[in-house]
Amino acid sequence: MMEMLSHVRGTSAFFRDSFRTGSCNTLTQVTRACSTLLTGSSKGGLVLYSQSSDVYDNLSLEDWIDANVDLKRLNVLLLWRNTPAVVIGRHQNPWKECNLSLVRRSGISLARRRSGGGTVFHDLGNLNLTFFASKNAYDRQRNLKVITEALRRLRPGLDVEATERFDIFLKGCYKITGSASRISRKSSYHHCTLLHSADHSTLLPILRSSCQGVHSNATPSVPSPVANLVDHDPTLKWEALLDALADQYSAEFGGCGTMNAVNPADESTFPGLSRISAELRGWDWIFGKTPKFSIQTLLKMTDDLSSAGRTVRLHLEIKHGVIESCSLDVPTCWLPPSLSSELSSVLVGQRFCPHHTAVAFSMLLRCESGEKQNRLRRLCDAILAVMG
Amino acid sequence: MLSRSRCLSRNFGRSLSAIRQGNNVLTRIGAAAISSSYPFTLRNTVKSDPRSSVFQIQYFRTSFAYRDEVLTIKTPAFAESVTEGDVRWEKAVGDTVSEDEVVCEIETDKTSVQVPSPSSGVIVEFLVPDGGKVEGGTPLFTLRKGPAAPQAAEAPKAEAPTAAVPSPPSAPPPSPPPPPPSAVGPIPTTMPPVPPVPSHAMDAKPVSAIKPTTPAAPVDGGAKVARTESRVKMNRMRLRIAQRLKEAQNTCAMLTTFNEIDMSNISEMRKTYKDAFLKKHNIKLGFMSAFVKASAYALTDQPAVNAVIDDTTKEIVYRDYVDISVAVATPKGLVVPVIRNVEGMNFADIEKTINMLGEKARKNELAVEDMDGGTFTISNGGVFGSMFGTPIINPPQSAILGMHGIFDRPVAVAGKVEIRPMMYIALTYDHRLVDGREAVTFLRKIKSVVEDPRVLLLDM
Repeated sequence: MMEMLSHVRGTSAFFRDSFRTGSCNTLTQVTRACSTLLTGSSKGGLVLYSQSSDVYDNLSLEDWIDANVDLKRLNVLLLWRNTPAVVIGRHQNPWKECNLSLVRRSGISLARRRSGGGTVFHDLGNLNLTFFASKNAYDRQRNLKVITEALRRLRPGLDVEATERFDIFLKGCYKITGSASRISRKSSYHHCTLLHSADHSTLLPILRSSCQGVHSNATPSVPSPVANLVDHDPTLKWEALLDALADQYSAEFGGCGTMNAVNPADESTFPGLSRISAELRGWDWIFGKTPKFSIQTLLKMTDDLSSAGRTVRLHLEIKHGVIESCSLDVPTCWLPPSLSSELSSVLVGQRFCPHHTAVAFSMLLRCESGEKQNRLRRLCDAILAVMG
Repeated sequence: MLSRSRCLSRNFGRSLSAIRQGNNVLTRIGAAAISSSYPFTLRNTVKSDPRSSVFQIQYFRTSFAYRDEVLTIKTPAFAESVTEGDVRWEKAVGDTVSEDEVVCEIETDKTSVQVPSPSSGVIVEFLVPDGGKVEGGTPLFTLRKGPAAPQAAEAPKAEAPTAAVPSPPSAPPPSPPPPPPSAVGPIPTTMPPVPPVPSHAMDAKPVSAIKPTTPAAPVDGGAKVARTESRVKMNRMRLRIAQRLKEAQNTCAMLTTFNEIDMSNISEMRKTYKDAFLKKHNIKLGFMSAFVKASAYALTDQPAVNAVIDDTTKEIVYRDYVDISVAVATPKGLVVPVIRNVEGMNFADIEKTINMLGEKARKNELAVEDMDGGTFTISNGGVFGSMFGTPIINPPQSAILGMHGIFDRPVAVAGKVEIRPMMYIALTYDHRLVDGREAVTFLRKIKSVVEDPRVLLLDM
């Protein structure tokens, strides 16, 4: 465990030295350099390594390559990794997939990717590979073969096998990769995670939903037991893994085999990428793109004065992350109906986000006093807790 | 009933596309011929319904659409032997799309496939609900072919702007010419001469004799000014604030008393200690801490200003603690975080709390309890350059202190005219609870503390 941690820490120095990289050229220079080595009609392969560990910048880099590189002439493999982040699929519901307040408190980023599938947890011990190809050349098994062959070359006899469901299992039972892909109008990409030395201890509480009563038809996540490559072979180094993958990729798809370091924050190499990155960081993308869902739950209110608890029924309909309709069923002896209907109307049109709603609630609370204010405050707190 | 009619139009859609694809002969037959033959096919495909006349009406509508070319777009075939996926709509019914624009995404197991529109037009109907399952070939939606969306430049002027600020007129009226600079001379010591009284009365003219003169035709100098207006619906937040403000005005007997503060001493104190303060506490020393502490001192001295009337029980509630709300303007509106128990804090504690609350507000992390309560509010209009003004009470409190801008003014000090940095301060209070003497004393206490913080140490 300690060895694994020190290895992860040491790799930051590794970025600067290292593996056979070209210097940070512009993408066109790199592309041109590689295409001159192509012979005849064979397409070449290009291997890129992202120098950024920011999940939003890396996801934007994927988008940029997908939109701007002519994948009919060139196949591209992008290798990247992120500082701790929870990445949900395109059509998932973040309130259902993870504990939002814990994610916020731990300083972990939350991102929504453009490809479908379920939620994954990224950290610096997890390698992401994105295989870019034209729409017609989309072949996931071929991509996975690059990974399994590379691993077998590094460690002959390593029991890794790709399944029909596009997973790679170690020793038949431990999943070491997870795949997702996206097919656009003219191009496609298939990306997968490869667990080298990820930290699983923090995983469980983070990926447990804190939100009660979510009714949604968003894509669910299917959990499965996972393992790290280093758990089974501690001698397998990160750099060696990258080199093996780059070599195997060029063996399969052609090209030079060198890994070219790219920096997504470089506006001259990737014009327009910062705009994509800003979009991916925004609330409207991460939360607003959630498919329509509803919250139906019972809130238990206990009074300080009386031991009898009151139950408040809350029903919210949320579309594009904004509360479309709210039905609040509060016992009239506990709070006057005028106040509950005011609270309801405050909620409608608000983002389903505790911070935005807290401001609106505070205004309402300022105008009440005494026991009514206490009860209202407790109800507001309970509603905000539902929002994550 | 709704689902049945939707099912019906879906059948129409399918049978329509079947007609288009299969039977080219039909396209040449006139509408009348079709109308006579169609009901027969209809009774075969759909269960009998007593309202068959409605079907004919509906049919006419779709045949009309058919002539405008309504396309049915189907689910593309899935790659790699995948059988089914879920539809996620990106656009809405009625949206205008251009050719190749993405209308929806189909999510199969781990793959997200984009479905572009084959041509430009208007989306007529979704044949599958959001999240519904489809297979390759399942009809997805219908599109009426047409031109793409008009250019943004032709967007109607009546479109409400997204910003809350109403659009300014396109050509602002020319500003009036500046008044001629008055001759600056010595301060007059004698009264100005009284003008002589005229010897006889003015010629009186009856009003009817005065003919209205038509104003001279306006000189067509400037550019043509647009005379449109735009209407923006008030959002809930604004409506609520408006309601509360009016309620506050109606219940409290509000009036305002003023005073001015000589900021020289406090400015000097700040200049002397700001570097050391920054080094020790890691935050900047501002003026807010002085005013917050001065207010807390004055509030403990005049408990009526810290109290509030409970209208429901007709009681005056005196509070033994001082929680000061500081009004902060954010892009989302006015936010009022609260500094709790100020009576026990010193300047450094207050600055730290203000800093922490400011950070939270910036990062959107203010919780409800951060903004809840407060016995007194301080509002700083000076940051915007205000010189003088009457703040409005923030219910359910009884008073609010308004700080304004610091401007150099000539003032009388020990019989001489000196230029000092001066700030006007205003206290709006509820006269039902606080009487004039208490309000003025309160304000003078704040003035004395800010002008000489040693008053705090000596408890004067």
